[in-house]
Amino acid sequence: MAKISLRFPKITFWRVVLLMILSAGFYATVLRFTKGLGGTTNLSAQFPWGIWIGFDVLCGVALAAGGFSISAVVYIFHIEKYRPIVRPAILTAFLGYSLACVGLMFDLGRPYNIWHPLIMWNPHSVMFEVGWCVTLYTTVLMLEFSPLVLEKLPWQRPYKIVKSITIPLVILGVLLSTMHQSSLGTLYLIVPHRLHPLWYSPLLPVFFFISAIALGCAMTIFESYLSLRAFRKHLDFHLLTKLGAVGAVTLLVYLVIRVMDMQSRGVLSLAFQPTYEGRMFLAEMLLGVIAPIILLFIPRIRNNQFGLFASALMIVLGFVMNRINVAITGMDQSSGVHYFPSWTELAITASIVTAGFIMFGLAVKYLDVFPPEDMKEIAQGKRAELPALAAFRSPLWSATTLAFVLVVIVLGGTAALSYDGIRRRLPVVALSEGSGSVDVSRGLAELKMPGPIKIKMGKTSPGQCVFSHARHVDQKNPNCSTCHSGLFRMLPTTADIAPDRKMTNCGTCHDGVKAVSVRKEDRCDACHAKS
Amino acid sequence: MDTQTVTKKGLLFDTTLCIGCGACYGACKERNKLPRTNENFLRDNLSADTFTVVNRRNNRFVRRMCMHCNEPTCVSVCPVGALVKSEQGPVSYDASKCMGCRYCVQACPFGVPQYEWDDPITPRVRKCDLCRDRVAAGLATACATVCPTGATKFGNRDELTAEAEARIRANPGRYVNHVYGVAEVGGTSVLLLSDVPFATLGYRTDLLQAPLPHLTWNVLHKLPTVVSIGGVLMSGIWWITKRREEVKKAEREAHSTEKGTN
Repeated sequence: MAKISLRFPKITFWRVVLLMILSAGFYATVLRFTKGLGGTTNLSAQFPWGIWIGFDVLCGVALAAGGFSISAVVYIFHIEKYRPIVRPAILTAFLGYSLACVGLMFDLGRPYNIWHPLIMWNPHSVMFEVGWCVTLYTTVLMLEFSPLVLEKLPWQRPYKIVKSITIPLVILGVLLSTMHQSSLGTLYLIVPHRLHPLWYSPLLPVFFFISAIALGCAMTIFESYLSLRAFRKHLDFHLLTKLGAVGAVTLLVYLVIRVMDMQSRGVLSLAFQPTYEGRMFLAEMLLGVIAPIILLFIPRIRNNQFGLFASALMIVLGFVMNRINVAITGMDQSSGVHYFPSWTELAITASIVTAGFIMFGLAVKYLDVFPPEDMKEIAQGKRAELPALAAFRSPLWSATTLAFVLVVIVLGGTAALSYDGIRRRLPVVALSEGSGSVDVSRGLAELKMPGPIKIKMGKTSPGQCVFSHARHVDQKNPNCSTCHSGLFRMLPTTADIAPDRKMTNCGTCHDGVKAVSVRKEDRCDACHAKS
Repeated sequence: MDTQTVTKKGLLFDTTLCIGCGACYGACKERNKLPRTNENFLRDNLSADTFTVVNRRNNRFVRRMCMHCNEPTCVSVCPVGALVKSEQGPVSYDASKCMGCRYCVQACPFGVPQYEWDDPITPRVRKCDLCRDRVAAGLATACATVCPTGATKFGNRDELTAEAEARIRANPGRYVNHVYGVAEVGGTSVLLLSDVPFATLGYRTDLLQAPLPHLTWNVLHKLPTVVSIGGVLMSGIWWITKRREEVKKAEREAHSTEKGTN
């Protein structure tokens, strides 16, 4: 186990960047909890869920896809070859869930009540189910992850207990997380009137589930490439290639069902219309579904390190685009506002992601996430560099070059499509008030004004004062709010109006300018009866 | 059964009778002790401090407020049951349960629930509660009590439905032949009559005619089945693959001992 050193950490470029992001996030956090959501986010009643739900929660939770896919493969299907990637996958899943929970703490208006769904049940609510799944699965992931910490402790008992319940935990974990992936889609089933038909479908839970499996494959490949450089000994490249093929087939199934579903709902043509939603949809499908399928179905690219890595990256990006399209793009038209996250929303999101990377790094350093003997070799410089970087040294006309060119085309195309889409975003049009004056003749015919109201007489009153609605109201265009908006009560009988010495009731208008003043004592008989 | 024991209350709003006087707006503010939010009430919008508005749309005055759906989407989506539909019809909110997820704001087909966005610690969801306490005490809602023309009328929902249909029948050609709220999202406690298309007044006419909560419940009620089948299936696969490994191992050992004896 590495020693925890107390030296001041070296100042490097990336450390400065991370520190800057975290400081901005900290400042944004202070603002969030002092000024409220209104003062710090661009959320509104028209757009109540923004990037914290669309990215932090929907995508953070999806990071767990690698965790449940790989642990199912190893523990339930007993395909032992994949065992070396179980631990990093579980770690990523655990971090993903923790970070989604942190994101929720920012998004919830009353985060201190986050435990309420555990005791206040409403089984009809998808959010209730999501709440339970998040709680249970975070616990399961913590237990699944705990051996890494427990094995470092001198006492072996807890370690043995956790080890002995691994299989039930894995089964529970797979059930909970698959349920959860699909219920994030179910969340949006109840908004057919809000979500654009390109994304709204009765099959949303199915789409969320299938795409999460494809993402699970992609995330595993992606992680292996970024941090598992030691793995060539334990995990041969062939395994990742296979995983890529599984991901491609899953995506193909996803693509076919999605297209068939759109065809049957008659909205396929919407995808090709030159609208904001149409372009964003095409970009999502091109980048995240069609391109990786094609790339992964070409054996030369699939078997090429860079090709596989790039395809996996596209699946991940496409997945993020899909979730953001469901949560944000698809809501744009119906909401009547154009939502874009504020800097605080972005800073907090960036900080959460940064914290995730830092925690992953710390876990790799102090716990046996990867086989310890390999870590030692990396430290001694005996291991090769990142395969993704090494791939650039391959000959000019190779699968790498082919993959690279295709990736550039797809990324460029996606960017162009998205830009074109944003350009086509329709301006918000307010409903017409109509021109001229409103014909209120029918209403006026029915108009019944309240009868005369006797004002309570003071001791020095020169005579009874009676208020007449008929005399005060414009019969052609009555406006009750002139007086009944803070000035006079309307609901209880208005009998008890006190004499207005402070000029706050009648005196507001009877000030001598707008109407006869209540102060002008020579004109008392304007309102008071002569006794 | 419920309908026999408790009469469902409701409101009927007839745009052709509304003169835009703002009495309902003022009475609502008064009853709910809400601060003034706009100098001109006709330009006001629903907000955390405004539960009903009268707006001018397509040369008519039209009210907006909570529709108090028969099967409310907001009640169905609330994970903690902070929103409740009472038997008489009002949909009301309990801030002490709320965790502020705003799923109700997101899901309401009429865009009614509002939020106290500027409160950092104890924000509430805000909306009309059909004067729940007044209605329970046998009174009409504040807005209906003060309406001087009868444009907003309080009563039993089925009687109001019948009256709305009777008004359409009695004056053929005056109204759009539809009582808004009878069938929209499974029916609402607030019913609307108009002489111009409802869509031009800002009321959506593309809503489902069935309650929206069915959309999610159709999926949710299958979950226990999915979980049990999934659990059994995975345990089974685990057992089979484990057994296969064991058999393979035993065979290998038997093979090697055979070799050893040879």
